[in-house]
Amino acid sequence: MFALVGRSIESLRQVARGLGTVLKHAAREPITKEFPDTMPQLAGHFRGRLALAVNPQTGDHLCISCLQCERVCPDKCIQITSHKSPETNKPELINFKIDHGLCMFCGLCTEVCPTNCIINTNDFEMADYSRESLVYDLKKLTLTQDESAHYYSKKELPMPKPKPKPAAKPAAGAAAAKPAADKPAGKPEAKAEAKPEAKPESAEAKPAAAAPEAKAAEESAAKPAETQAKAEDSAAKAIETQAKTVETATKAEETAAKSGETQQKAEEVLKAAEASTKTEESSEKPEEKTREIDLGRVPAKSDEAAETKAAEEPKKEGEQ
Amino acid sequence: MTTAAAAPYNIGEIWKFVRLSLIWMGIIFGAVWLVSWVVGAVIPALIDQAAGKDAVLHNLANIIRLLTPLIAVMVFIPINATYMVLAERRGLALLTVRKGPNRVGPDGFLQTGADAVKLLFKENIDPEGSDPLMFTLAPIIFFAPSVFGAIPLLAAVTSDHELFHIVNLPTGIFYVLAMSSIPVVGIVMGGWASNNKYSLVGGLRSAAQAISYEIPLVLAVITVCLLVGTLNVVDIAWLQNPMALAGLDNSPQAAQALQRWESIRGASHMAAPSISSIGVNSLADFGFLNWNIFGGDKFTSYLALLAAGKYTVEAAIFKGLAALLLIISSFLLCGLYLTGACAEINRIPFDLPEAESELVSGYNTEYSGIRFAIFFLAEFTNLFIVSTIAVVMWFGGGSSPFPATLYAPVMQALAGVCGAVNEVLKGIGLPAILEATTLSGAIWAIAKTYFLVYFAILVRGTLPRFRIDQLMDFGWKRLIPLSLILLLTVTFLKELI
Amino acid sequence: MFNLNDLAHAASAHLEICLFYLTAFIMIPLAYGVLLDRNIIRAGFLLIGVFGGISALFLLLQAQFLAMAQLMIYAVGITLVVVIALMLTNPNLEYEKSVELPQQQLPAFLTSILVFLVLYMSVLSEAWPVRNELPSADNIKVLGTSLLTQYSLPFEFASILLLVALIGAVMLAKSDHFHPGEEILGNESISETEGNENVVKV
Ligand code: SF4
Ligand code: SF4
Repeated sequence: MFALVGRSIESLRQVARGLGTVLKHAAREPITKEFPDTMPQLAGHFRGRLALAVNPQTGDHLCISCLQCERVCPDKCIQITSHKSPETNKPELINFKIDHGLCMFCGLCTEVCPTNCIINTNDFEMADYSRESLVYDLKKLTLTQDESAHYYSKKELPMPKPKPKPAAKPAAGAAAAKPAADKPAGKPEAKAEAKPEAKPESAEAKPAAAAPEAKAAEESAAKPAETQAKAEDSAAKAIETQAKTVETATKAEETAAKSGETQQKAEEVLKAAEASTKTEESSEKPEEKTREIDLGRVPAKSDEAAETKAAEEPKKEGEQ
Repeated sequence: MTTAAAAPYNIGEIWKFVRLSLIWMGIIFGAVWLVSWVVGAVIPALIDQAAGKDAVLHNLANIIRLLTPLIAVMVFIPINATYMVLAERRGLALLTVRKGPNRVGPDGFLQTGADAVKLLFKENIDPEGSDPLMFTLAPIIFFAPSVFGAIPLLAAVTSDHELFHIVNLPTGIFYVLAMSSIPVVGIVMGGWASNNKYSLVGGLRSAAQAISYEIPLVLAVITVCLLVGTLNVVDIAWLQNPMALAGLDNSPQAAQALQRWESIRGASHMAAPSISSIGVNSLADFGFLNWNIFGGDKFTSYLALLAAGKYTVEAAIFKGLAALLLIISSFLLCGLYLTGACAEINRIPFDLPEAESELVSGYNTEYSGIRFAIFFLAEFTNLFIVSTIAVVMWFGGGSSPFPATLYAPVMQALAGVCGAVNEVLKGIGLPAILEATTLSGAIWAIAKTYFLVYFAILVRGTLPRFRIDQLMDFGWKRLIPLSLILLLTVTFLKELI
Repeated sequence: MFNLNDLAHAASAHLEICLFYLTAFIMIPLAYGVLLDRNIIRAGFLLIGVFGGISALFLLLQAQFLAMAQLMIYAVGITLVVVIALMLTNPNLEYEKSVELPQQQLPAFLTSILVFLVLYMSVLSEAWPVRNELPSADNIKVLGTSLLTQYSLPFEFASILLLVALIGAVMLAKSDHFHPGEEILGNESISETEGNENVVKV
């Protein structure tokens, strides 16, 4: 009887203690974050939407079409289309599709990727109206250079080595030296100038003899060298759809290579580059853009038709 | 213990919660007063004016007056439930370190309204193989008794205002308890008619639980009735009210009031010396000690007589011990009632009929649309009603916790305000509305009731659910014996003090 | 302001009759439903309705306390338990075919007639004294007094009967055979759990 009373009192005391503890918690600041208003601070290794990074320094597309990711994916949601380049005898990427509706964000593909090309971004807002629109193609997957740089620094990935370049470095070096003084606006100019020169050379000297020198030249001449490298890249028929400047340059070059009207094309490129200078400038303010980069929201592209054309061309070639 | 934060960082959220509550209380209060006034005073007065000598119209006016309590409760319940749902969600959010709904309207002010609208527009699904009549009837049977059962409490907390005098039933608390026992039929019916195993098990559990816990609950209430000497809720509340006790000897209606007091208390006053010898109004100075949770006026009369030096030393010690025992018993009775009520209305920790982890949603699994809304509404209304019963039975109904002498200036101020409002109303030719005692009673009653409601929210935030066998064990082996023991104890103590 | 009692008295005669017919109008179909409904659970629920109606009749007769007791004990308590027992014992509720045995029909009919006759005669034979005065308003007090003075012996007998029934139920429920579910439901395990809780607390 007394044991029962004692036990009752003890249990009442415990219940009261529990109530007190819970009541004390009312004074704690809520841990709730009001999501659309305040974005969560995500860690670098957060496994969100998948994306393909480009070389943050040079803007090269990093994927080497090794198909490792496609093979390892447990859900078989990666589909890579590539062909063997007739010139380099190396596999080249044509299209890259990830079905985010199937993906379970296990991150295995990012583990195996030898070039750290495929990465998990911090974007998790991927709701869409149809299943089809969850299948992201190469264009949607590829990050801009800024975004790549952002994720590379956030994930603390080692910087990729730039591709061995057969390109004529004297031309690149000369182009680099000139616009280095007037920075943001000078960049497209450098590209426009560099391209006509770079193109024929790279077309000729494909087997890449002067690679180490080209690398050294690029590293020393920071930004303009990137554009140079890009010009080479496009000449090598890589399809890079990300940054607008790069894009227009690629397109312009390809058409130029076909027609041979170098001068006229260079002017066109200049115009297009000027138009996109604004985007370039706004990307100079990293703080403002952080959220957009985080979510992988690439600024709208101006002439998409041309881009898709550019993307399709290599495919045709591969078929040939 | 270390998890609790030391510093009160959360002032902002708490303040938001308080602000929200105050605004909603104002709305609830205002709406009920307005409706009572319009239905109980303005419309009949207008009809009377228009009627002249027509007896039929006068009767019509009187019938409208009679309907006031019902309409007041019907207005009160949905608005009140709207606030309670919000309070529960925001309050639980506070306790669980979250923010709760704060998007619809300022601070989530309109959240429940939005939910209600959503529910009303949802499809009203009849599950296959269900019994359509029973399925529809179940929410009504669940909800209707809470409307009708609440009515006598209205008279109790408004100090028997003349508009609500009609519901001053002699059976009072018994009526309320009988009504509050009906909803379980609705639950079993809904569970069975849903043609769903989860619903059926939920309904059966609910019935088993309600029937088991109704016994200690009713015994606890009956013990208090025994202590007080009446079943009438109005009288029970009146006896605990210091202001009413103060009026026993020196107000104009003193003789009448004293007679009433003696007719309730007199027969059970065997022990000498009687409190009548030093004047019953001396009890008024004990304030909240007059509440039944402290043993009612038994305890305070002991204190008063002790202070007046009416006891011999042995008698003082003996009766003091008895009074102490009575206080403990009263506390236990209150706890017993609250536990039983919690089980009766299926709240955590006794929410076995709708245990999400076991039974999806229990008896209301198959319900959708407005029928589900009615279940939801009734659940919260039941919580409010059992809290009101506890307030009337143990916490002094609409009485203030302060001694009458302290509280008198407040009452005077209130009376001043009420008089001013009434003057204004009379000036524009409308009947008077405010009365200081009723106003004070209603405010205190609603404050105390919400205190209990918040306590229920705290309990919900703390305690885990019982297992079904533990529940039965606790009910039959602990609570029922305890309630029987208390019944005996209080019966004897009542005569000893 | 207005006198409720006047109104009530003036209208009571008509009102009472109206309410009586209203109640009857609801109750008689319900009672028929109890008899005729093939679904026994639904019949049980209808029975609850009938008991509710009976408590309404008590209310009309000014017996508030009895009405409430009727509602609480019969309508909700006992009938609900019966319904639940039906639910638990008869799993094949819905589509149960009625068992029609022709040789039982005549005896059943005769028995019903006999029961009816007995009831009818007993109702007739009783002299129902009618008093014109109103029942006392405080009839709870009257009820309590008479229960504890005049009728205290039957009252005590009734309580002892109920107590015996309660103890009997406990004895029936308490089984000393081993049941598979006993580890979960048995008393030993409960006290054990409580012991454990105690240990944890200390
Ligand atoms: S994250 Fe996993 S599931 Fe998604 S694409 Fe990569 S390997 Fe496949
Ligand atoms: S593993 Fe990386 S490099 Fe290889 S195909 Fe996939 S994305 Fe491209």
